[in-house]
Amino acid sequence: MEPNKRAILEGRSITKHFGALAALRGIDFSLYEGEILGLIGPNGSGKTTLFNVITGIYPPTKGSVFFEQRNISGLKPHKICQMGIAKTSQIVQPFTRMTVAENVLVGAMYGGRISQREAWEKTYEVLEFVHLDKLMNVSSGNISVPDRRRLELARALATSAKVILLDENMAGLTPNEIEEALNLLRVIRDQGITLMVVEHIMRAVMGISDRMIVFDYGEKIAEGTPGEIAENPRVIEAYLGEKYA
Amino acid sequence: MMQGQKSIFSLPGKSVFLVAGILLILAIFPAFHLSGYTLRLMSMIFMWIALASCWNVMSGYTGYIDFGPVVYFGIGAYSTALLMSRGGMPFFLSIVISGVVAVLFAIPVGLPTLRLRGAYFAIATFAFAEAMKQVALEWDRVVGVHFLEGSHGITLPIGPSHQFFYYTFLVIMTVLFLTSYLIERSRMGYALKAIHEAEDAAELSGVNTLKIKVSAYAISAFFTGIIGGVDAYWLTYITPNDVFSIHITIQMVIMCLLGGMGTLLGPVVGASFLTLVSEPLWAKFPYDYLIIIGVIIVVVIVAMPRGIVGTLMERKRRGGGT
Repeated sequence: MEPNKRAILEGRSITKHFGALAALRGIDFSLYEGEILGLIGPNGSGKTTLFNVITGIYPPTKGSVFFEQRNISGLKPHKICQMGIAKTSQIVQPFTRMTVAENVLVGAMYGGRISQREAWEKTYEVLEFVHLDKLMNVSSGNISVPDRRRLELARALATSAKVILLDENMAGLTPNEIEEALNLLRVIRDQGITLMVVEHIMRAVMGISDRMIVFDYGEKIAEGTPGEIAENPRVIEAYLGEKYA
Repeated sequence: MMQGQKSIFSLPGKSVFLVAGILLILAIFPAFHLSGYTLRLMSMIFMWIALASCWNVMSGYTGYIDFGPVVYFGIGAYSTALLMSRGGMPFFLSIVISGVVAVLFAIPVGLPTLRLRGAYFAIATFAFAEAMKQVALEWDRVVGVHFLEGSHGITLPIGPSHQFFYYTFLVIMTVLFLTSYLIERSRMGYALKAIHEAEDAAELSGVNTLKIKVSAYAISAFFTGIIGGVDAYWLTYITPNDVFSIHITIQMVIMCLLGGMGTLLGPVVGASFLTLVSEPLWAKFPYDYLIIIGVIIVVVIVAMPRGIVGTLMERKRRGGGT
């Protein structure tokens, strides 16, 4: 992506400490409007922590997050969601005693700040879009893992988010299901929603990202197109160990 | 139309007529020259349905176990007692002010405690209720005034007939039933249930969870305070040990659990069931009836872990498929 494009989301030297542990150390990043940015790194490298800082679950120890040129660090998660940043969680958390439709409705009503009537319209629209419309009256505790992942995505879409952060939304899916999920993400991007994707399945994240960022031990070690990342010696070292670099 | 949607007016016509019919029958009931005992028993049931519903609005829907709701009952009782006996205020004005006073306590208490999860919220509310009982008991001695009268209690003006309280409680119960119904179908109801299921996910979906929880807590306190005020007038004499009694909390919790937490009819069924079962048992076995009630509660909870209404609803849902 050309760097002259407008950054919708920006991190400036974000640092996050948990006691003595530095989970993030001075992370700078820009997410450009309309792109898919892949975020990879070994386990514990700080990917999920960055998502949690962006969405307001943790305030950053140092540094700040800017969304559409506004400093959002320190705001509560519901506020950040209402502004237009949604997240799907690694561990899916449906409201299990509510139906699939009601799950999405909560996101539409509160995240999208619209009336209940409008929210139902939005809910049907989103459910059809992610192909969950047939399950809409099923209790969300009774649906399969791929459907739960799609429900997470539907809830995020229903909030009318401009940016969606996807934390391992494809974990546990079969290759076919992954292919389907990737296509869905491309369609979402084509609708003008900017995506930031944390994924362990390398083929998936390489195939879909316009640009990528690599984390290791809470630091950004590389940034570039998927092709550049695949050949970057620091990335290979981080993943495979020194002797392969 | 679309099937998932439940609008405020979509309660099946049959149920509306059923509820209206039952309320109508209850409204003309006293015309049949019932004994004072029957009227009192019915009024008691209405009061407990209303109290259990108050608890349900907050704890039933969100799953935050409030173990000190009696504090608002006591605050309401004392407010009404003081307003009527010291201020010479009329009854209805007094109970409404009592509800407002309860809210004025509930908001500053709810804001810090509703950040606590699980057992910690229960302990905090329990401690607050016990602390307020001590305040009511010791205020005059510590401050050196004659105001709350400590353990001597306060006497209220003599109240009207049993029929008056029958209708007052019937109206309050109806208002609470309607309020619960509207909350359940409203934006707030969905948010409360979402908080119950996965609070972090609710917050990430845009729900201001703290605000919603404090609102539910304040609504619950408002009505509990009003009921406390009515009960004080009914009893005509209150002491801290009576109106701040942990037994009132326990009854509210058990009735709601028996009937089904987070269901509209749960408090109605739970409160009616427990009152109707304990009355004849108390008359027949005045010394052992609590043991029998204990056994009944255990059996019901084991057989129907989500309460009578909750379990029946779940069975219907499972049986009816998707």
